[in-house]
Order: sequence, then structure tokens, then C-alpha cells
Amino acid sequence: MMKRHKIVLAEDNSTLSLLLKYKLEKEGYELLIAADGKQAIDLVESYNPDLILTDIMMPYFSGLEVISHVRNKLKKKTPIVVFSSAGQEDMVLKAFSLGASDFMTKPFSPNELVIRIKRLFSEFKTIG
Amino acid sequence: MHIYDYIVGAFQEAPFLIQISLVVVVAMIITIVILIIGLRATRSLLKIKDKEIANYKTQYEALIVDFLYSGDDSDEMSKSQRSIIIKLKSGVRIPSRQKSIITILSSLMDEVSGEMSDDIKSLYRKTGLAGHARHRLKSKKWHIVTKAIWELRQFGVYEGQEEVSKFITHHKREVRKEAQLYTVDLFKFEGLSFLDDLELPLSEWHQLQLLEALMTEGNPKICDIKPWLRSPNVSVILFAIKLAKIYNQFEVKEELISLLAHPNKEVRSAAISVLNDLFGYETEELLQLSKDAFSYEEVHVRTAEL
Repeated sequence: MMKRHKIVLAEDNSTLSLLLKYKLEKEGYELLIAADGKQAIDLVESYNPDLILTDIMMPYFSGLEVISHVRNKLKKKTPIVVFSSAGQEDMVLKAFSLGASDFMTKPFSPNELVIRIKRLFSEFKTIG
Repeated sequence: MHIYDYIVGAFQEAPFLIQISLVVVVAMIITIVILIIGLRATRSLLKIKDKEIANYKTQYEALIVDFLYSGDDSDEMSKSQRSIIIKLKSGVRIPSRQKSIITILSSLMDEVSGEMSDDIKSLYRKTGLAGHARHRLKSKKWHIVTKAIWELRQFGVYEGQEEVSKFITHHKREVRKEAQLYTVDLFKFEGLSFLDDLELPLSEWHQLQLLEALMTEGNPKICDIKPWLRSPNVSVILFAIKLAKIYNQFEVKEELISLLAHPNKEVRSAAISVLNDLFGYETEELLQLSKDAFSYEEVHVRTAEL
């Protein structure tokens, strides 16, 4: 049996989280949902996911802090996709300098997200 | 009974000033007690309402997401989608539930695009929310009308154009702004026709919002902006100059040159800037030719910029 990839989704919009959970679980991924940056860090530490999807603006810890924690404190190379909004270009650049793997600007298509996730997993597999 | 008699006796024998002070103190204590009870009751009511809203949100969030994923590949709605619409329709009739449904749909509209956003728009219509918003346009309260126009714009309800266009010159700024944004967001350059005879000013922020609404279209059909460059409304001219710059309107060169002699300094300055952007070194020549129209300082600064 193939191993289900674990994905941590850090997003404070509960409707979007639910929507992506449906979509990604349908695609065969296991979703762990965090409503803020603090919960995201806890989930990453406890479950060691294969991918992290994080919004930039979140309560408690921002997406940037989540990336920094994963890369600098946990020393993990887990691919991280950042969700940004229009006008957050500087934040996206900061996210990349901290070690983000990809980004998507809101509003985005969930179908496109699935394609990017698949591509990231295949790239990660090739590199790994 | 003794204590009561004693208190009444003591009160009656007390000097007048003390009696008044005692009455005031007792009245204040009663007021404070009433206020505390009122406050606690209001807090409990708000908590119940918040809980109710959170419950509706959870309930409708699941239904909406279910609707978005329960369709089959055909254009027809699936059985499960039809049953979800019936459930949502019954919720739409109750204002607090209607508010929850609109909040969920609009928060999703801000986050997702593509096919899914089309499905959300279609759900908005099928649940009867578009009809409710159009009905609210008849309200006498300006904030209700503004919110209704915002909704029609957010969910792309083109059928509301006729009703919304009546508010384009509304005396209340908020209503007028929202109506203008609706026409531009939905009808792009065609929706800008209100600029032809606009007498009221467009604020800088509103101009930016209009430009943002225009830019959502990848391949815009740009209309003739010349009449707006000749408008008696300075803010319309400034907006048209921005359009000329963003959409590289080389054909409005003559109009831009004539603006170099406009009485408004901001218009002249914007015209120089856009001429410089569109025609580069040619602008220097143009400025030399029309330098009589400017102050020495303005020409000097602008020429140095080139």
C-alpha cells in the first residue's frame, strides 16, 4: 500500500481550510489543519509532515515565522508553499529568502494547487 | 420592625443635606445594581448570539463546501447539490442565517479563483441571494443599498446593472462609489461611461480602486479616452491620464499636449509625466514649444527630469 503524504495546512480562513481539506483528501493526501501559526508549528513538530502549506498573515505566528522555525530551528527541508495576497510581494520575497519552496497568490485555483503539490513531491523525490 | 423604625427615625432627624446625600447614595447603588444586571444579561445574550453564528457558520460552511465538490462533470446539478440548495434557501429566509451564508461565500470568493469561483457565483444566484440583494436596493437606508451593491459586484450579478446605474450619481459618496465600482468591475471599460458627464470629484483612492477593477481583465477592450481628457472635471482628466499611461494610449498625444496649457497645475504635471513615459525624448521638444504655459520653475524641473 502506498504511503499517504501528510500535509500541514496553516490557514486562518476556516472555509478555505475545509475546502482544501476536501480537495486534497480526495487526491489522496492526509491533511492536518492549523488555524494559526502556533498550531502549525505544533503540528509540524508532532507529525513531521511531507509538505507545509501556509498563509502569510495569521494570528500568533505569521507564515514567515513558521518557515523560519521549520528551516532554522527544526532544520527540516520539508517543502513549504506560501499563500500570499495581492500586494504582499515583499513578504513573498522574504518567504523565499527564509526557505519557502513555492508560492501562490490568492485568489487561487484549488486545481492549480494540486498540480503544484504533485510537482513539488515529484521534485522532492528526485532530489531526495 | 425596630430596625426599620430606627432607620426611618434617624433619617427624619438627620439634617437636610445628609438626607439628600443618603437619597443620592441609595439611588446610585440601585442604578449600579441595575446596570450590572443589564450588562450581564447583554453579555449572555451576545454570547448566545455568537455561539449561534458560529454554529450556523460550521453548518453552512460544510454544506457549501459539500455543494462545491458534489457536482458531476455534466452542466446539470447533481441530486445532492439540489438538496443542499433547498437547505440553503430555507436559511436565506432568516436574516442572521442569510448573513452567515453571505459571509462564507464572500470569504471564499476572496480566496479561490477559476471554476470554483464560478460555482460560488452560481450558488449565490441559485439560493436566491442575488434576488434578495436586488430587493435591498430599494431600501431607503444608504448603508443597506451600499452593501447590496457590493454583494452584486462581488458575486458578478450582471442583471442588476439597470438598478445599480441609478446610484452612480447618488448624493451619498459611499453609495455612488460602490455603484461606480460595480459597473467598472463587471463591465470594464464600457462601465466607465459614467465619466462622460460626471460632475462630482473622484478621490485618488477611488481612482485606484477603479483602475484595480479594470486590471482584472487580461485583454481589455480599451475605449476612446479622449473625451475624458477634455472633461471639465479635473479628477476625470487625471484619471484619464492614468489610463493613457497604463494602457499606452499613444493616440491621445494631441489631447495630452493640449493639457500642457491646462489651468490646473496637477493636470499639467501629470500630462508632462505621461508624455515623457509614452514619447520619451520628444517630450523635451514639446515642453520647449509650450514652455509659455508653465512657470519657469516647472519647466526647469521637468526638463531636468528628462
